[in-house]
Amino acid sequence: MVEKRKNILFFGILIFILILFPFVVTNYWIRLFTGIFMYGTLAQATNILMGFSGLVPFGNVVFFGIGAYFTGITMLNLGFPFFIALVFGASACFVFAFVVGHPVLKLKGHYFAIATMGISEAIKQISTNVKITRGGMGLNLPLVPFEVNTSYLFFYFLMFSAMILVTLVALWISRNRVGYALRAIMSNEDGAKSIGINTPHYKVLAWAISAFFTGLGGGIFAYWYGYIDPPSVFDIGISVRFIIMILLGGAGTIIGPLLGAFFIELLSETVWSQFLFIHLGVLGAIIVLVVIFMPRGFVWFYRQKFSLEALLENVRKGKL
Amino acid sequence: MGALLSIKNVSKYFGGLAANKAISFDIEAGEIIGLIGPNGSGKTTLINVITGNDVADQGSIRFKGHEIVRLKPYIINRLGIARTYQVVQPFIGMSVRENVVAGVLFGRDGKGRKMGVAWERADEVLELCHMQDKRNEMVENLTIADIKRLEIAKAMATDPDLLLLDEGMAGLNPKEIDEALDLATRINKMGMTLLVVEHVMKAVMSISQRVVVLHQGRLMAIGTPEAIAKDEQVIKAYLGEKYSLRQKNRGEVKRL
Repeated sequence: MVEKRKNILFFGILIFILILFPFVVTNYWIRLFTGIFMYGTLAQATNILMGFSGLVPFGNVVFFGIGAYFTGITMLNLGFPFFIALVFGASACFVFAFVVGHPVLKLKGHYFAIATMGISEAIKQISTNVKITRGGMGLNLPLVPFEVNTSYLFFYFLMFSAMILVTLVALWISRNRVGYALRAIMSNEDGAKSIGINTPHYKVLAWAISAFFTGLGGGIFAYWYGYIDPPSVFDIGISVRFIIMILLGGAGTIIGPLLGAFFIELLSETVWSQFLFIHLGVLGAIIVLVVIFMPRGFVWFYRQKFSLEALLENVRKGKL
Repeated sequence: MGALLSIKNVSKYFGGLAANKAISFDIEAGEIIGLIGPNGSGKTTLINVITGNDVADQGSIRFKGHEIVRLKPYIINRLGIARTYQVVQPFIGMSVRENVVAGVLFGRDGKGRKMGVAWERADEVLELCHMQDKRNEMVENLTIADIKRLEIAKAMATDPDLLLLDEGMAGLNPKEIDEALDLATRINKMGMTLLVVEHVMKAVMSISQRVVVLHQGRLMAIGTPEAIAKDEQVIKAYLGEKYSLRQKNRGEVKRL
């Protein structure tokens, strides 16, 4: 109980600091943190499927794109206000994942990962070639009706709220029947069926929830950047990035994906500003080192009480 | 009232191999029925066919009068048939208590259960299985005997009427076998019907009221343990001369 109260106090203070943060720093930092919160949202959303059920949806970026495009198109063509368009976009992702999920989630392991990449590429091609998205020309969204400084704050708090919301949902899921169903499925699908778990149903549900929040992130991104085109919002690199964040932080934990997002985004920003020409190389090298020494992520390292012994044990087991 | 589970003319083929061939027998409510046979005689296949893990190619299986062939495993479980696996299937990465609570949440009538109620039910089941002192252990730290007991606890947590135990005692030492037998008897006294697949002959003969013998996928004999132990055909196919001699001697001792 004391432990729990300490945790709540710690996160309360952290949230309080992040609320005050944008009022004391420059717009550069606000923009950087808005990006971190976006990746935090995406990583946490994907963690709901990947962390709890063990399925790796490499093409989850498809929901980022669908969310972005649905939000943009409903604002431009139907004149929806932003927030309604955003909910509409995220819900479209939920429905899409639910429909596609029933056949696709019959696949296991790598085959599921590859199928989601296929879906992502297919939707990217479709959105490049249909009229309603204006194809490769891209889509210019309506301007934000605020002056510059206010709009920086607006997106900072919007992304922040999205990240907190998806984290609360993940926390709730992890402690309830859906969470137990998913963990049982990850550990042992046959065993799960035999104690009455409708395994396809829970996998589809988890994917649809993760799609909803990925789409939410995409919708906010579209309005934030003001311009989207298929290569930028269906970029498989975005998927790779948030999957790395989940793995680095600790899949299946609540705080891990957020830690991963902070670490990767801050690191790539620092590396980029210090080593302009080889920043991807340096970033890659750091990721390789982290994965070798703590393949189960930061949260695992914390639970080992930061013991060096445990780090070396990982390397020995990896037989370097 | 009809039998709890009625198996009629059930066959299951894997390619050209008949793993189960025209098997028929009934399981009455409240009994412990043993299922024995040499390796490859189709015992586990029969269990899989009853629980829906495999689908029977022919025949009918009725549970409380409902046809259950072709139903999905999770639906069959919710109707009231639970099982354990020969190769144990615990949920790694979860504690003993969490394993059991999963059964409570998703088994029969699990749908509307609140978490608080589910935890209480899980603790009751753990107490029944004498596992309450290990409830916070992670599964990966348990001994094989405890994992086998956990399998039974998980199955019991789904609140079944019929429990199928597939080799629950393989790999246990004599003391652990006695504990497992004690658990099975206690569960049965609470009104649970048990189908016990077992290689440990002493165990299955001592607790079963009736024994079913499979041989090469066919039902060879069915009857009381005493009758099965004396059945010439069964002795030849499975029990062996040694066992039959011992039974004979025991009979002679009694007569003296």
